[in-house]
Amino acid sequence: MAAWDLSVTVEDLGPDAPPVTLSVASDLHVGGVILKLVEKTQIKRDWSDHALWWEQKQCWLLRTAWTLEKYGIHADAKLFFMPQHKPLRLCLPNGITLRLRACFSNPVFQTVMGICRMLNIRHPEELSLLRPVEHKKKKKDKDSAEEIYDLTEVPLSSVSRPCLYNGMPAHFADSPQMEAIYKMLSVTQPPPAPEVVAKQYRPASVVDKAHIHGRWLNSSRCLLQQGIQENDRVWLRFKFYAFYDIEPKYDVVRLTQLYEQARWAILLEDIDCTEEEMMLFGALQYHISKVSQSEPQMMSSNAAMDDLESALQSLEVKMEGESSSASEMLDNMTAPELNDYLKIFRPKRLTLKGYKQYWFKFQDTSISYFKSKEESIGEPIQQINLKGCEVAPDVNVAAQKFLIRLLIPAPEGMNEVYLRCENEQQYAQWMAACRLGSKGKTLADSSFQNEIQSIRSFLAMQKTNSGSHGNAPANDESINTNSLVSPRYNKKYKTKQLTPRILDAYQNVAQLSLTDAVMRFLQIWQSLPDFGLSYVVVRFKGSRKDEVLGVAPNRLIRIDLGVGDVVKTWRYNNMKQWNVNWDIRQLAIEFEGNVNIAFSCVTADCKIVHEFIGGYIFMSTRSREKSSTLNEELFHKLTGGHEAL
Amino acid sequence: MEQVSDEEVEVRGEEEEEEEDSDKEDQDLDKMFGAWLGELDKLTQSLDDGRPEQPPQQKAPLRQETNMANFSYRFSIYNINEALNQGENVDLDALMADLCSIEQELSTINTKPNSAGSLARLGPTLYLLTHQASLSMDEAARQTSSHSLSSRQHRRTGSVGTPFHFEEQAAKLKADNIRVALEKIKEAQVKKLVIRVHLSDESSKTMMVDERQTVRQVLDSLLEKSHCGYSPDWSLVETISELQMERIFEDHENLVENLLNWTRDSQNRLMFTERIEKYAVFKNPQNYLLGRKETCEMAERNKEALLEECFGGSSVSVPEMEGVLWLKEDGKKSWKKRYFLLRASGIYYVPKGKAKASRDLVCFLQLDHVNVYLGQDYKSKYKAPTDYCMVLKHPQIQKKSQYIKYLCCDDIRTLQQWINSIRITKYGKQLYINFQEAMRRTEAAYDWSSLSSSSIKSGSSSSSLPESQSNHSSQSDSGVSEMTSSSHTRSQSVVSSIFSDAWRRGTQGEV
Repeated sequence: MAAWDLSVTVEDLGPDAPPVTLSVASDLHVGGVILKLVEKTQIKRDWSDHALWWEQKQCWLLRTAWTLEKYGIHADAKLFFMPQHKPLRLCLPNGITLRLRACFSNPVFQTVMGICRMLNIRHPEELSLLRPVEHKKKKKDKDSAEEIYDLTEVPLSSVSRPCLYNGMPAHFADSPQMEAIYKMLSVTQPPPAPEVVAKQYRPASVVDKAHIHGRWLNSSRCLLQQGIQENDRVWLRFKFYAFYDIEPKYDVVRLTQLYEQARWAILLEDIDCTEEEMMLFGALQYHISKVSQSEPQMMSSNAAMDDLESALQSLEVKMEGESSSASEMLDNMTAPELNDYLKIFRPKRLTLKGYKQYWFKFQDTSISYFKSKEESIGEPIQQINLKGCEVAPDVNVAAQKFLIRLLIPAPEGMNEVYLRCENEQQYAQWMAACRLGSKGKTLADSSFQNEIQSIRSFLAMQKTNSGSHGNAPANDESINTNSLVSPRYNKKYKTKQLTPRILDAYQNVAQLSLTDAVMRFLQIWQSLPDFGLSYVVVRFKGSRKDEVLGVAPNRLIRIDLGVGDVVKTWRYNNMKQWNVNWDIRQLAIEFEGNVNIAFSCVTADCKIVHEFIGGYIFMSTRSREKSSTLNEELFHKLTGGHEAL
Repeated sequence: MEQVSDEEVEVRGEEEEEEEDSDKEDQDLDKMFGAWLGELDKLTQSLDDGRPEQPPQQKAPLRQETNMANFSYRFSIYNINEALNQGENVDLDALMADLCSIEQELSTINTKPNSAGSLARLGPTLYLLTHQASLSMDEAARQTSSHSLSSRQHRRTGSVGTPFHFEEQAAKLKADNIRVALEKIKEAQVKKLVIRVHLSDESSKTMMVDERQTVRQVLDSLLEKSHCGYSPDWSLVETISELQMERIFEDHENLVENLLNWTRDSQNRLMFTERIEKYAVFKNPQNYLLGRKETCEMAERNKEALLEECFGGSSVSVPEMEGVLWLKEDGKKSWKKRYFLLRASGIYYVPKGKAKASRDLVCFLQLDHVNVYLGQDYKSKYKAPTDYCMVLKHPQIQKKSQYIKYLCCDDIRTLQQWINSIRITKYGKQLYINFQEAMRRTEAAYDWSSLSSSSIKSGSSSSSLPESQSNHSSQSDSGVSEMTSSSHTRSQSVVSSIFSDAWRRGTQGEV
């Protein structure tokens, strides 16, 4: 067979080096070409990751046994010889950018799998990559100053067999720098300054959101085929909102990043919520950032011990002591009390009397009060059992107002009682006691001191907030409440109005462990009505106007753009089949009961919508048994369309 | 809550006794109780005197607590008296057996005051509890020291290689002992209550419940006694006659805790009756979970998939529930229309002149502290637009109050949808677990009956029910079946036949 010249650009020779010319015959296989090429360059190195890229056809020549003829390569082909793994700048859900080596030759689905393996994120099928939103011209190119965590040195071989060391993949245990990166991945970021949030791009409408979803990369094609070059920036995000088998023990990074994505979705109003929900999200963020700063490795360790176990421990400690006579034990076991002068006010009773001072005693789960300290041995004027009551703070540090509002259920209705404390110290103690009491716990409960501590730190926060303003550094004592809610509420409320409301919500979550708080945040997020909706602007067959299709984990919804209301819901459960006509780029779906819909996509390629539907169906096939390995083939079958492997 | 003072309790107790009937049997019983109560007082007295190192400042609470002990017993007796007054169908034998066992335990305390006994059950109080605790801990300590001693001996004689093992074992033993001691402490403070349960045929049953029992457990024992045929629909219903409302207790709830919310002179009733609406959500989930206005049929495998989808995940999805309801204005007999929405975080309404965007919603009520009740005959009582009313209130509220919220729906279907959606929001997965548990009991009962009669076919396949429910049902078997593997060829038909029975029963009475 006749020999002809094939010219190949070898990337490793530098950008200006001329292409290497080889003399080949058409029956030479690709492996042979590579061998010749390597010999000719006379560079000794590991070439195993390198492969040939055919520029005109935009494809990799990965089948080394195929001949040039079979590939249809002639002398005019422009070939590049380069590594399949190249550095990529990856923006994580927590807003931090990593630089790592990602696969440019396999379908994006596999590229994501590789990335997730490196970062120790389980269930990579739920994530994908999308093109970043272009920033409008920034005054100074701030991005260049941005810190980039470099993971390009991680050997690819070690990533393929991940083994854990100290609870993290071995490649993160190599150096302090690497450990720092892992910490960044697995510990939640401090709340962003309100200015940072305000500066971020916020989708203002459903159509804006739809445009973001048009940026997802095609899972069936490789990065290079989609125009992503070396060192380009892409976003890694959770794409399918069906989070399977979350296990805090193994999912440290996954949970952290999921939390970050949810948090940003709330802060940027990507998902709508009510004011009460926003305050609760704020309280949880505050709690999470506080706890993660004080105990950074909590996520990996187990959640809070149950009561019995902690009781056992404290008992054991006592029994180890030298004198364990019954009498002394009795002293130890006597429940602690609080005793102090406080002022009481009952707003419901139609008296003109204001606050009256009494001697108060908190014992068990009840408050009793007496005329004076001296009379406290006798019968109390009244005893109030706090079990099941509602406790709300009414505090203004600047005005030195420390009020505990109690709403106590009784057969006749709810009794309102206000207790007024003199100072912070007293307030923290009594407030903590009331909260425990309302849950049926006594002062002997181990959480009493924690409760006091969390009340104090919140008071401290109110103090710093009322003093200074602006972006306070996010250290423990002074988290800016403005950074916990979306800009809308920052405009609506002043800090001194906002803080008590978050404090109010905070009391219900203050005792959660870090993991539980993160899980709670995710749970509340997931139960929002609009959770998990990805939007696409579509044109239904026979319709003359644009409408929005919302793709959720279990259903499709049709939204009227004019009214903003959901017009129709179709559930995957009732879906019989769906087809894509790739020529006219139209999706047709058939549901049970002879319901047929067809639409073309305006803001996204129809492949993206096809992938969403197929992807969610794939997510639902993941079996309950833990043993399951990722069924990649099925994913591609369901999402690949005509590009299916 | 304002604690009822001790004197008041005594007086009320006496009143009840005076009120009592002159039935002979009753008096005998009462005499017995009287004697027994006296003994109880003596007992507590002796315990009081017998305590050596009693800190003086604790005297006052102790006195109070002893009275409290009497209180809880008087309460029970009052209930019995009431039951006896009503006459019929009192299971006196069972009751006596229960009481005798208590008496027995009491006498053991007398002879062996050191054991972590059950005196505290008479009135669980901090003081008595701590006393018991200290005693039993002392015991535990003694046991522990003996254990550790023996382990030390082991170490001396045993092989050199395993000292660590022994130490570990000793620690474990110690922990076990403490655990046992703690359990005893817990056991010691169990409260019991004599209750009267009304049946739908106007008869009633009297039984004793212990404060640890869930509604499910009480239902089980009632079903066992009454031979009325098993069905998951059997319910314990609380009726608050003063407020004209009722609520089906959820199976996982604690019965005693709920009953203790009743006032002493309460006219409330506890009913044992079949209620189709109790688990209608699970029999026809498509009518509740899809936010649709009209009832419809659904293929059974889809029902199962829908339930799995809503309740199988880590977070329960709240049914899309929204619409115009009538709200009773505080203190007036006028009703105002508002557009309400249900969310996981509570019930909201759309303020006047606003769209229903989430951020503009006003929170009407959070569900943590309130229960949802069914209002009865409010058209005449409160001039409600219809008789399809629901009520939201704190369980402890028993009288008219501004803290009770009344909502009125246009039709019974909407009402049932709201009530059930609120239940799902409040209890989440627990509700589904309750249903599955109830179904399991029912199936088990069928199993028994099918031994004698073969009339119920689905009974034989009952064991497959729990399995098939835990089996994840793929959504794709409805649409893209060619893609899915053979793992879905499970015994669907078997399951659905069981379910169809339930559903048929469900749809019959459903609205």
